[in-house]
Amino acid sequence: MTPEIVSVTEELLKKTPHPVTVIIDGRTCRANEGEIILEVAIRERIEIPHLCYEASLSPYGACRLCMVEFMRRGRMEMATSCTLRAEEGLEVITDSPKILSHRRMILELYLAEAPRSEVIKELAKKYGVTKTRFFKKIDKEDPLGNKCILCGLCVRVCNEIIGASVMSFVNRGPYTVVSTPFLEENTACLGCMACAAVCPTHAIEIGNLGAERTMVSWGKTQVKLRKCPQCGRYFAPESLSDEVYAKIDPPLTEDIRDICPECRSSNIAHAEISAASGRR
Amino acid sequence: MDEQALDAIISAYDSPSGRLLGILGDIQNTHRYIPRESLEMLSWKLDIPLSQLYSVVTFYSFFTLIPIGEHRITVCMGTACHVKGAGEILKNLEKLLGFPEGITEEQRSPVTTKDNVFTLEIARCFGACSIAPVLKVDNTLYGYAKAEDVPGILEEYGWKKDDY
Amino acid sequence: MPNEILVRKNRGLKKIQPDIPRITVGLATCGAAIGATAVYDRLKERIRERNLEVILVPTGCIGYCREEPIVAIAHPKKPLVLLHRVTPDDVDDILDAVSLGTVPFEKALCRIEGWNHLMGCNLNYGRGFEDIPLYDDIPFFGHQKKVILRDAGLINPEDIDEFLAVGGYSAAWQALSSMNSDAVLEEVEKSGLRGRGGAGFPAGLKWRITKEKVNEKKYLICNADEGDPGAYMNRNEMESDPHMLIEGMILGAYAMDISEGLIYIRAEYPLAIRRLKHAIKEAKECGILGKNIFGTDFFFDIQIATGAGAFVCGESTALVASIEGRTGRPTPRPPRLTDSGLWGRPTDLNNVETWCNVPVIIKNGSDWYKSIGAPKNAGTKVFSLVGDVERVGLVEVPLGTTLNTIVFDIGNGSSDGKDVKAVQTGGPSGGCIPRRLFDTTVDFESLAKIGSIMGSGGIVVMDEDTNMVDIARYFISFATGESCGKCIPCREGLKHTLILLNKILGGKATPEDLDTLKSLSETIVETSLCGLGNSAPNPVLTTLAYFREEYDALVKS
Repeated sequence: MTPEIVSVTEELLKKTPHPVTVIIDGRTCRANEGEIILEVAIRERIEIPHLCYEASLSPYGACRLCMVEFMRRGRMEMATSCTLRAEEGLEVITDSPKILSHRRMILELYLAEAPRSEVIKELAKKYGVTKTRFFKKIDKEDPLGNKCILCGLCVRVCNEIIGASVMSFVNRGPYTVVSTPFLEENTACLGCMACAAVCPTHAIEIGNLGAERTMVSWGKTQVKLRKCPQCGRYFAPESLSDEVYAKIDPPLTEDIRDICPECRSSNIAHAEISAASGRR
Repeated sequence: MDEQALDAIISAYDSPSGRLLGILGDIQNTHRYIPRESLEMLSWKLDIPLSQLYSVVTFYSFFTLIPIGEHRITVCMGTACHVKGAGEILKNLEKLLGFPEGITEEQRSPVTTKDNVFTLEIARCFGACSIAPVLKVDNTLYGYAKAEDVPGILEEYGWKKDDY
Repeated sequence: MPNEILVRKNRGLKKIQPDIPRITVGLATCGAAIGATAVYDRLKERIRERNLEVILVPTGCIGYCREEPIVAIAHPKKPLVLLHRVTPDDVDDILDAVSLGTVPFEKALCRIEGWNHLMGCNLNYGRGFEDIPLYDDIPFFGHQKKVILRDAGLINPEDIDEFLAVGGYSAAWQALSSMNSDAVLEEVEKSGLRGRGGAGFPAGLKWRITKEKVNEKKYLICNADEGDPGAYMNRNEMESDPHMLIEGMILGAYAMDISEGLIYIRAEYPLAIRRLKHAIKEAKECGILGKNIFGTDFFFDIQIATGAGAFVCGESTALVASIEGRTGRPTPRPPRLTDSGLWGRPTDLNNVETWCNVPVIIKNGSDWYKSIGAPKNAGTKVFSLVGDVERVGLVEVPLGTTLNTIVFDIGNGSSDGKDVKAVQTGGPSGGCIPRRLFDTTVDFESLAKIGSIMGSGGIVVMDEDTNMVDIARYFISFATGESCGKCIPCREGLKHTLILLNKILGGKATPEDLDTLKSLSETIVETSLCGLGNSAPNPVLTTLAYFREEYDALVKS
């Protein structure tokens, strides 16, 4: 078990939540002791930009955009709000001049690192950053379309939640990229597309063409799709559905397992209607 | 790498602490690089996803997936060595071994001559700062090195002027 | 002490002070690299050929690196004499002199009449050879206070008998036979020992927090990653006196109720790894490590885990990740290591030198320890004094000593008669300090006040010809190559800082570029995830503060 999983487990096993009051930007907010301040802010609709936070994973602290100032022992300190925990009387400021100044510099760095990302451009614009002083990283061959910000969400989801471990961080420092082993196709991929769902900059390219799903960004890995015998559409990756079905006990019957969800619902609806009209 | 040899390496580590880096280091010491097949074999033997192993091998400077030449020349670019002129030594080596573009200091990728005889790379500190600048060829350290010493040192390993 | 150990101790004493002459050769990494191995081999050969009754033994490094190779001669009842800059050609003259009961005066550096090993062993060598200066009269040595380096260069690091002879493991014995674990912990707390890896966190406090995790599996780790270029104190501590580190860890394990320890050591230190492995084996054979230590029911074992070339793995969470077989990418804190560290368990992590301080504290007491150093900065610190300085080597002084003393009294200033311009302290996380601030004392607070840090102890001296902008560029290049890449301020920020510095050095920068350099550096400091990013811009910020004119001269107006 990685320490991250241990600490998440500890979270879940914590005793009954104990309510506290925290003050964010002068506003009094209710929270549970130990709750992540970013979560409190989201709930209270106080805007703190964030890119690498995912509630189902332990805090990662990579994007640095969610940094806030808070009062500790009479001094203002800075911390990422995804790792800052609520305690009674905690005072947090999300938009001080200092925070804004650092945030803008970081956004300039993001504009240079992911110059083709519309999401980044929008976010930067929100804080008054429309251009960057720094050299833009442009690679025409980039499988992630010059949109990747190395937030790690795809890697962590694929590793820790899906369990397929298709891609990882390769190299280190400014040479880091997210890729498959040896930058080639990886047959471990189930084609679930959780990576694309979780990517904040929509950098992951996937092609859905007929019988195959192509994970273009992951070495153009081809994933075979399952064909519905009833309607003829391709609806789910074979490997993924096989894995999921294998976990169901007692196993699904053929009429459900091999049919696509739309046909399934329509079959069930027809069966209900027939049964209902039959009863009358 | 044959399976028996790999099993022997793995069995030397009974505790998980330090095991992976230890095993990879032993593979590297055996072959002077980490062959792809070894990594793939290791993945199913240790039940660690290949993507994770690949991530580890590409993260740490010590590991290389590309074979190293017969002789490995490492120039220390630590602070004391830098202050004492390591840059000149590196430049001279790059010239004499035929690497006009030089090695990117930040990236630290080793470069190897086409005939696979010499690999040139930099290190960030051997901890031999008192005898700076330091040059290492295979397992021998040369202290108080000077740029003019380089041809003589290379000749000890079979280099000849105008070879590259 | 158990009888078998006393037998070895007495054997060790006879090895150190035998009835016949004893010749030792300093064989740590640097000495070996510049000819000490050749000297040792030649001595061995000629002693055999000439059929001389002489004992030849390898020792560690006494720290005066510029004068290596160093050979020491101990005639019975005569002072220990250190010879310097010895070459294989000197061997016959040395043996000629030794066989006549004397030493080659032209090669002599100094003599030692007696030596206090601080662990209940005060060795008396003898009087004589009055023409050779006394050890204390050699400026390089005289200003130092050897506590951690008390055995280095004087005993054989590959022989536990010699370590036992000079009082080694007597503190561990004392603790296990007559103190309970709380008493050991309290002594360390009272001593005020602060972490020697750079952070200066009170060791006793960290131990107390770890100890309070009762009924939980815990680990202790020694951080032997010593990645700072220019720093090699830990390397010498491990190569010259490996048992000292083991003893410190045994005491810590006993104090904190821990049974498993690890030493994470960088792969670039093969000799230290070998000597530690050998020392661990010897300690186990003597019942001092492993099961039933000293015959008690205390169990503690130490394992070695090696690094693979990543400076960032000196950071605690990255170090732990590396031991677990993952990439060295730091994780945010909380949780702290003492809450969730190695394999998710409470873990105490301390630097090599921190561990090495513990035996002397237990043996001599916290009052003795506090009498050395300065208020809130008890004890000594080992520094590596390198670069453009004449007397290069390892220097151990009480905390609170000034840079002037270290650079000029001990180091004798610049090596080529040039003026000293600045020093870099604290490695890549530290800053450049101009000569006019050399009256600053070296301790955990004073250097921080002027923008640098003490760090792990590297002091690189730079002379008047040094281009300080180039130095800033050097450090940023280093940090960029060592950044783990997880967080954007460090990963991209340092990359662009390097681009800016290259632009400045190329004479193509504008004044706006200097402003960008400064504000980018400040953002990297304040927003990076870990200590690497938090401190990497320090060389830029300090050179901008103290050597602004060099930047301005390169900038187009």
